[in-house]
Amino acid sequence: MTAELLEAQGLEAAYGRVQVLWGAGLSVRERETVVLLGANGAGKTTLLKVLMGLIAASAGEVRFQGQDITRLRTDRRVRLGIVYMSETSGFPGLTIAENIRIGGQFVGAAELRRRTAELYTVFPALAERRRALASSLSGGQRKMLGVAKALAAGPKLLVMDEPSAGLSPLFVKEVIHVLARFREQGLSLLIAEQNVKFLELADRVYTLDGGRIGFAGTVPQMRADDAIRRAYFGLK
Amino acid sequence: MIEYTLLAGLLFGLYFSLVGLGLNLIFGVMRIVNLAHGDFLMLGAFFAYWLFHLLGPNPLISLFLAFLLFALIAYPLYFLLVPRLLSARDPEMLSIILFFGLSQVLEALAVIGFGTSERSLPGQLLGHGPVQILGQNFPAAWATSGIASALAVVFVYFYLYRTRLGYLTRAVMVHHEEAVSTGINVHRVSAIAFGIGLALAAVAGVFAPFMLGSITPAMGIDITITSFAVIVVGSLGNPLGTVLGGIIYGISLMMMQTYLSSWANLLPYLLLIGILLVRPSGLLGRQVRRA
Repeated sequence: MTAELLEAQGLEAAYGRVQVLWGAGLSVRERETVVLLGANGAGKTTLLKVLMGLIAASAGEVRFQGQDITRLRTDRRVRLGIVYMSETSGFPGLTIAENIRIGGQFVGAAELRRRTAELYTVFPALAERRRALASSLSGGQRKMLGVAKALAAGPKLLVMDEPSAGLSPLFVKEVIHVLARFREQGLSLLIAEQNVKFLELADRVYTLDGGRIGFAGTVPQMRADDAIRRAYFGLK
Repeated sequence: MIEYTLLAGLLFGLYFSLVGLGLNLIFGVMRIVNLAHGDFLMLGAFFAYWLFHLLGPNPLISLFLAFLLFALIAYPLYFLLVPRLLSARDPEMLSIILFFGLSQVLEALAVIGFGTSERSLPGQLLGHGPVQILGQNFPAAWATSGIASALAVVFVYFYLYRTRLGYLTRAVMVHHEEAVSTGINVHRVSAIAFGIGLALAAVAGVFAPFMLGSITPAMGIDITITSFAVIVVGSLGNPLGTVLGGIIYGISLMMMQTYLSSWANLLPYLLLIGILLVRPSGLLGRQVRRA
């Protein structure tokens, strides 16, 4: 049994008077990939932002490796090893090399050089265009840059917000392939998605609906649940 | 005549680049409008004036002291003012009102401290005799101020493009929300940029008695308007675009003073209106990166 890396429970959050999260909670264990499935407006991004300290929780608790981080600033969470890849996936007005350097802001110069060289071997398209602005990349390359920038930080847990957003099926497949590679190397992943293709990677799945966790379990358990199967796979 | 006008315009242009640089850095990073920019420049000028009369150091020494002092004052000032502003619904508009108030306070304090009369420093403090550039003679103070301003621009370039903090500063300029998500301590980075911005204004102030003729507590508002003209001509939010704006402003000013002297005071307003009507994103516009 692997140890819990991230544990969140009873999370509530609101934008002004509109409450978005209603007691949501989830956990990610070491070397585990967890997919958080939900439709647009289900509260996935809000939940991830609360986990990252980008939005304050009005109730509930977040723990990372046993430490209470509910009130910890985002930069401190990143230092602990929880790294966030937003839908923006990097800084459009900066070069690829600069993006990776900023991702590794808390890493020593020698270690960052080593990691950058390693990332360029994994992402040769980024290596070729390292001096190009991120805004000149295609949607798929931009996602790869987002992943590379996040990995430069050396995360224990990579939290990703809709990595498939705006990508063609071919690029979605490529992103999944890259993530599978890092998962095999021991990286823990928490992926918020509405694309069920990402279940290929999942050890466990949560569904989020109206700011509440609905289902929690493994992919086979999910497929065995008629209501969930209808809602997310469109099957009878 | 035209050679002299163009070269003098270039020297003044470099100086006006320094005048606008801090304002543009602060706007680029924080998206707040520092209407007290000219007043911080005025305080830098009076600091150099006061220090000279107290201890008599060369203004080039006062320059480093002014930079350090204003950076140290600006850092806590940022945390007192800016985070509250940024959490408001319309930080840009609120910043205009807040910094206008601060501008009035600084001017009033300077009047209490120094009175309303014009002050100046002897030009010889920045070098003796004329300096020859491409066969034209210029006061040594102009050449020294122009060179020092160019060095300040190089310093900002080095900071933004060659240091770790500079990379983080540009990241905040490019995409504030992504910077926070990446774990950049945005307030620390912004406070340092705010400190550098005000310190650059103070450094420009040290040269003001030599480049602008004299200094008074009321000079701040004119300097702020000139700074806006410079950064709007270059590219608002792009600190290095300020150099282009400064040189265009400097050469235009010298041309106006030479050929249409009675119209020269209208220049900042004419440039502001002209650029906003013809090319609102500045001359560099979107062809250059934002950071």
